[in-house]
Amino acid sequence: MLVVKDMAKQYGDFTALKDINLEFTNGLYGLLAPNGAGKTTLIKMLATLIAPTKGEVLYNGKNILSMDDQYRELLGYLPQQFGYYKNYSPKQYLLYLAALKGISKKEAALKIDELLEKVALSQVVNKKMKKFSGGMIQRVGIAQALLNDPKILILDEPTAGLDPKERARFRHLLSELARDRLVIISTHIVSDIESIANEIIMIKNQQILYKDSVEKICELLEGHVYETSIGYEQLGVFRKQYVLLSEKQEQGNMIVRFIHKGNPENEWRPVSPQLEDVFLYEYRDEIDGEA
Amino acid sequence: MDREKLYIPMPNEQMIHAQIEQIVASGMKQKQSFPSYLKSMVQQVGMRHLFSDRMELSFILITAIALLSGLLLMPEQIQTDKVYAFVFLVSPLLFLVFSIYSFANKTRNDTFEVEMACKYNVYQITAFRMLVFSVVSVVVNTLAIALIVMVSEDILFIRAFMISNTALFIFSILFLYALMKRRSTVIVAATIVGWTFGNLLLRFADNRLYSDILVDMPLVVYAVVLIGSLYLYMNYVKKLIHFKQTEGAF
Repeated sequence: MLVVKDMAKQYGDFTALKDINLEFTNGLYGLLAPNGAGKTTLIKMLATLIAPTKGEVLYNGKNILSMDDQYRELLGYLPQQFGYYKNYSPKQYLLYLAALKGISKKEAALKIDELLEKVALSQVVNKKMKKFSGGMIQRVGIAQALLNDPKILILDEPTAGLDPKERARFRHLLSELARDRLVIISTHIVSDIESIANEIIMIKNQQILYKDSVEKICELLEGHVYETSIGYEQLGVFRKQYVLLSEKQEQGNMIVRFIHKGNPENEWRPVSPQLEDVFLYEYRDEIDGEA
Repeated sequence: MDREKLYIPMPNEQMIHAQIEQIVASGMKQKQSFPSYLKSMVQQVGMRHLFSDRMELSFILITAIALLSGLLLMPEQIQTDKVYAFVFLVSPLLFLVFSIYSFANKTRNDTFEVEMACKYNVYQITAFRMLVFSVVSVVVNTLAIALIVMVSEDILFIRAFMISNTALFIFSILFLYALMKRRSTVIVAATIVGWTFGNLLLRFADNRLYSDILVDMPLVVYAVVLIGSLYLYMNYVKKLIHFKQTEGAF
């Protein structure tokens, strides 16, 4: 079990994270927040790439920084920017990383074939990576994170650059992996984790906002999410009055999805809240600011 | 009614002691010695991957050749203290070029984070490389001194050898200290510039003490300084192996 205890991270005067307390057991956890909320800082501390200013992270009761290489032996990590050597083939690069992970050459060769097959790169095993697309590089990154059959798998924005088909394959692979290990995925794309995560962790104002199942988090907006059809000219006023979640055109009118916490109008149709609705509602200020 | 007496087989002192030892041994991580750690690193990672970069190897080779060829350009008639000063200044150069290239290459590369999360991370690989580089530097410097001694008869091999290695390890300590304490390119660069210009300044200012230390200091004192700096250097390399960064390197 991985426990984050009273953790904080400060860069000079800037507080990136504060009062972080979390517990992880086997299963898939989705770390969901807009860009700049502190996801990568938290991920890097869990991967021992940076040390917390306050507090600690414990794995089975031991501080992960003191465990040093013992912890890294259990870890699979894909950083947000996955770096590679352009003139290496996926096989060469994975053999190199397997050596750094202390895996024997013989064992690594078998594992690499199996993993490249899993991420659908078995046709380009010996091709130089400089010719690869972003999605292919990302798949090499996913494969390297799995090399040592990690007990803890941490993936920072793993679906960046993947097309819809690759995303679907990736989700399938992750739910399979999360059956007997701890998987933590950081993302700002709700659909990546909505259907597969056992728990969602949301960060707001440098602190943990929610850590719960998708259903429980969605319940927070139960009875407050509606859809209705309005004329295009009403859209401006509507936007000012309510928290708009989505809008789409249909037969000359606008179908809007929005949040209202008072008495509804008759023509409004109540709908079941989705994780995306909670995300858009909770981070409306940040999202509006970005827009 | 007769009560059945309950018999608990209590272990004797010796057995209690043996069992405590067993529990402690299985619960505590065996502290690996530095040489055996290095040995297992070489066995698991392999020399091929410890020096994976062909560019790096070519660079190292060219630098070593260039440095040795540079010595051939030295004039035959040159003052003894000047030669010793030159040896003191230049000896760490090879180590410096190897180490800084290797370290900057690893820490500035996009692969840094991936490699940092591996069992043997960038700092451990760098520490191992530095050890190898220091051995290579000692060998190359010794060869260079042998060449100088062949050309100039006034130069004592043993003194030049001591000066060269003392300079190498003192500089290496400063370099590793700057690397781990400050972790900024500016501080590392300042250490290098400070070393070079500090020595050149002392040399050109015709500092009596500087040249006395180099030419007249008893060899025993040199030996003590050399052993001390070698010990400190090994300690710093060990520290680099367990080095934990706090806010990202460089």
